[in-house]
Amino acid sequence: MSAPTTRRIEFIAVAVIATLLIVVFPLLNSAGVISNFTLNLWGKYLCYALLAISVDLLWGYTGLLSLGQALFFSLGGYMLGMHLMRMIGDLGQYHKPIPDFLIFLGWTELPTFWKPFSSFPFAAAMVILLPGLVALVFGFLAFRSRIKGVYFSILTQALTYGGSLMFFRNDMLMGGNNGFTDYKFLLGADVRDASTQRALFIATAVTLVLVYLGCSWLSRTKLGLIQRAIRDGENRVLFSGYAAAGFKLFIFVLAALIASVGGALYVPQVGIINPSEMTPDKSLEAVVWVAVGGRGTLVGPVVGAIVVNALKSWATRAYPDLWLFFLGGMFVIVVLFLPGGIVSIPDRIKMWWARRADANAATSAPVAP
Amino acid sequence: MNFFNRTVRLLAFAALTLGFVAHAADSARAIIAKAALAEPPAQRIETITSLLGSGDESIAGLLAAWKEDALFVYTAPDGSKIPVQLFGDKDDQDSQTATRVDSGKPILSSAGKSLRLVASELTAVEHTSALRRAMKAVLDLLDLSTPDLKKRISAIQTLGFAQDAEKLAALQARQKIESVPSAQLALREAIALIELKDASPEVKLASLKELAALHTIGSADALKAALADAEAANHPSLAAAARLALNAVDSHLTTVNFFGTLFRGLSLGSILLVVALGLAITFGLMGVINMAHGEMIAVGAYTTYVVQNIFGTGLALSPFGFSFHIPGMNTGGWLYESYFIFALPLSFLSAALVGIAMERTVIQWLYRRPLESLLATWGVSLFLQQFFRRVFGSNNVQVSSPSYLSDNWTFHDIIFGWNRVFVIGFAGLIVLGVWLVLTRTSLGLLIRAVMQNRNMAACMGVRTERVNMLTFGLGSGLAGLAGAFLSQIGNVGPSLGQSYIVDCFMTVVVGGVGNLPGTVVSAFGIGLADQSLQQILLNPVLGKITVLVAIILFLQWRPAGIFVTKSRSLEG
Amino acid sequence: MTTDQEKTNLILTVEGVTKTFDGFKAITNLNFYLDRGELRTVIGPNGAGKSTFFDLITGRTKPDTGKIEFGWDTDLTALNEYEINRLGIGRKFQTPSVYSEHSVWENLLLSLKGPRGVFSTLFHRTSTEQCDRIDELLTLIRLDAKRDWLAGQLAHGEKQWLEIGMLLAQDPQVLLVDEPAAGMTDDETHRTGELLLSLAGKHSIVVVEHDMAFVKQIARDGKVTVLHQGTVLCEGKFDDVQADTRVREVYLGRGQHGTR
Repeated sequence: MSAPTTRRIEFIAVAVIATLLIVVFPLLNSAGVISNFTLNLWGKYLCYALLAISVDLLWGYTGLLSLGQALFFSLGGYMLGMHLMRMIGDLGQYHKPIPDFLIFLGWTELPTFWKPFSSFPFAAAMVILLPGLVALVFGFLAFRSRIKGVYFSILTQALTYGGSLMFFRNDMLMGGNNGFTDYKFLLGADVRDASTQRALFIATAVTLVLVYLGCSWLSRTKLGLIQRAIRDGENRVLFSGYAAAGFKLFIFVLAALIASVGGALYVPQVGIINPSEMTPDKSLEAVVWVAVGGRGTLVGPVVGAIVVNALKSWATRAYPDLWLFFLGGMFVIVVLFLPGGIVSIPDRIKMWWARRADANAATSAPVAP
Repeated sequence: MNFFNRTVRLLAFAALTLGFVAHAADSARAIIAKAALAEPPAQRIETITSLLGSGDESIAGLLAAWKEDALFVYTAPDGSKIPVQLFGDKDDQDSQTATRVDSGKPILSSAGKSLRLVASELTAVEHTSALRRAMKAVLDLLDLSTPDLKKRISAIQTLGFAQDAEKLAALQARQKIESVPSAQLALREAIALIELKDASPEVKLASLKELAALHTIGSADALKAALADAEAANHPSLAAAARLALNAVDSHLTTVNFFGTLFRGLSLGSILLVVALGLAITFGLMGVINMAHGEMIAVGAYTTYVVQNIFGTGLALSPFGFSFHIPGMNTGGWLYESYFIFALPLSFLSAALVGIAMERTVIQWLYRRPLESLLATWGVSLFLQQFFRRVFGSNNVQVSSPSYLSDNWTFHDIIFGWNRVFVIGFAGLIVLGVWLVLTRTSLGLLIRAVMQNRNMAACMGVRTERVNMLTFGLGSGLAGLAGAFLSQIGNVGPSLGQSYIVDCFMTVVVGGVGNLPGTVVSAFGIGLADQSLQQILLNPVLGKITVLVAIILFLQWRPAGIFVTKSRSLEG
Repeated sequence: MTTDQEKTNLILTVEGVTKTFDGFKAITNLNFYLDRGELRTVIGPNGAGKSTFFDLITGRTKPDTGKIEFGWDTDLTALNEYEINRLGIGRKFQTPSVYSEHSVWENLLLSLKGPRGVFSTLFHRTSTEQCDRIDELLTLIRLDAKRDWLAGQLAHGEKQWLEIGMLLAQDPQVLLVDEPAAGMTDDETHRTGELLLSLAGKHSIVVVEHDMAFVKQIARDGKVTVLHQGTVLCEGKFDDVQADTRVREVYLGRGQHGTR
């Protein structure tokens, strides 16, 4: 199949799925065919798909296995969460104009750094700026000293761990253990309302489609070529005059932003954000989605995030005790036996058929590769 | 009032210097019995006061009973008066068993049965306020004489911190006969603290000098108060002396904190070392990123738990709906306490076996794919964690420390927990052991050969598969040993390993991968940094975060500690 | 010492360079001067420090002492790999290093001279001149028919050619070529030699090689430098070097062709 044909098929597939997600699902939901619960669940999966794409952009395309994506996802969530907490107004349990947990900690006035979060544009800007800045500083330090491979994984794991430790603390004034919950309003609409949830779903779907198209474009640019060249032979890239660190930093920050936006969309749909979303384990879980879906492709992470999480939703209800066995086992099996993930299955079957056909043809000598 | 105090103090002197001889003859019980019958009642005060300085355990109960009108005088059929206490359940006639105060034994009737009396029919021994004060003086000083050293010192300190001049005499009396140096020190401190409240500036000055010489941490508050008083009273020489004493305490406190931090840092470093050493082998030498290393630690800790229960009353488990009982040996005493000695090799073995099983099933396919090995072993780690939850429950299990590990030793106010001292010592032994295995055994030679050049070693006829398996077993076994250790220091639960895994990796990375001496240095470095930062920032979490940041910055400065440059091929 | 007149003609100066790895002296007091347009062949037994020598020039490792300069007075020891490459020093590695998951065409595109920044590559559009240049190179390295093949699928010799092509695409002033003939057939080896000879003059080239027949071919006009134990043992015409007793002792004496 020639490249343009593949591109056309991909384009049609994206258009169909985009229409389904952005138009058909919400319509079916308002018609009552798809329940609010299901739509909400899918909204969550799509947010996870954004997180998975950010993991894949680094791992699958650049060879950087970042275990810090859960940190960026949560940071984005926390930034919007702060705004949502402000929007509760005095409807909290203490009926005071500041969030309940602050009153619980003995605050009577809003801490200064909370104040600007009353503005939605500010919070939305912080969704981009804070994780972007963290990624920029950390990435700069890590790539400058040429930390790569597993060392990069270990350091990003430590970064996430450090972040979760910080957010678990009460005197961080970010809700400590319990995080933020009980949201009431977003942009004047009641977040618990079905129509608001539908709008959030549409926003998530639109974001996912845009991110998908953007990454797909990125992978076809010369930068995308260099990105994969870094994955396959970083030193060759250096000896070809490219400052690999700069490229990695660009991708790292970009991936952090994608994760962060995913997190910001996730929080109003799920209704809670707490530091347990920030642990290294959450990052690793997102890596599982990518591995299961198929890394190094853009479809893979989306498929993986949806399939694994749908499975999780079902299994944690049907077999709550066995789910973790299943997740762990699935991971080992995919790594050992299906390194290309789900999306590689059609190719594998094709290859298997071809080999069978070859074997059947038998008389002809094996063809050189 | 003042007169009375003086009397008591005088009497106390008398009692303690003379009465001590009397004690040898009369037991405390006999004295109290004598006091109960003493005529006229004023005589009682004198008799009770003779108990001052006695440490007899029966005194507290008897005097309490007396004060609560529960000490009676029983007139026997022969007319003799016997002081008694009533014990036991009341029967339908409201009678209880009568016990003699002087012996603590029940009164036997002529038929040989124990005598039962009714409280309301007896007269309680009277007590006046003067008598009660005398009793209180006795009770206050009771603990000063108890043979239990810890209790005695704590009683001395309590009296000292109360700064009650009334207790001075008793303390001074005790000082004359106290033979244990640590109790002597406590007495000097307590006396000086009380004298700090003395009206005379000379006494105060002397006591300040004494406190400066003793520079005990506990005296800081009293010294601060004394300083404030002296400043208020505009007494410069006293204020100067108080400041001097406070400085002495402060500098002592700094020293104690410094060495305390050093000790805690060393012990944390030893823990890190023990947990990271296994990782240094699997990660550093083999290049396998074992995310399940933490679960190997947990295997060791749970093994210790099981061994402990086998030495005890056994263990009932019900994993996956099957329930079964591991019988216990119901041992006690030293045999029970020796369980830990058996748990050590067993935890090594069990973790090594789990590690070998893991190597055979998963890791052996991933030697050339380090990132994949990270992911697959994380899968295994999830699997194992859930396994622990299903078998041992989601809650922490209780592992009790044997007495030889749970005590501590205080030296100049620095507390050395024996478990931590043990950890430090044992870490040294393990490092030595690993070093010996790697340098002096044929296995070590093979390990190093395979790690340096797998293909070459294979060509030379080394069974690399076997060596991999054994190396991984060794690394996992060391993690198991670490688990046995950690069971003595913290909680044992399904996520035990998770709390150490990040620290483990950090230790190995900072030390330089594949560099065992580096691991040793980095473990102690991180341990000390962590504890010092906690001391400085007064917040364990901030300390930990600062250490993480410091490590990231450290790697800026010395990334070469991590990477070995090979120049032949481009990617290496 | 070098006079000013010589200096203008020097493109690479390595003086008094020493490099120690964990106590092992890989390079000891090395002096090496390369003229513009020169084709220099470096030979030496295994462990003579040839690869370390290239590593030092290209910034992969830094010398303990000594100076390494490019052209007039550009201090290479202060620069890192990609900065050195951008100055115009290209390197071909001993084991061919190509982007195995990229097509041959893409391999060349990535190597073409041009802006190397993050954003300039993000918005890069391949011009017709660039396409023409790539076509030219593809013809030169005889991979025209395999332009859409993944580089990883090429045979060893073809990878060597591709890497040479990638080196040429950068249009460097200095080419450092590490064992270009390894894994090639005799015919391919010969053609590689021809190619290198044709490049001399326009580029300055240093070739490290084991294959003596190949060395003889490319060193017919130029100088040969013999490295031994991290230092220059002798330098001169191929025949003179071959006749040198010290060289025979340490190198040729071990077998005419060294290791291949």
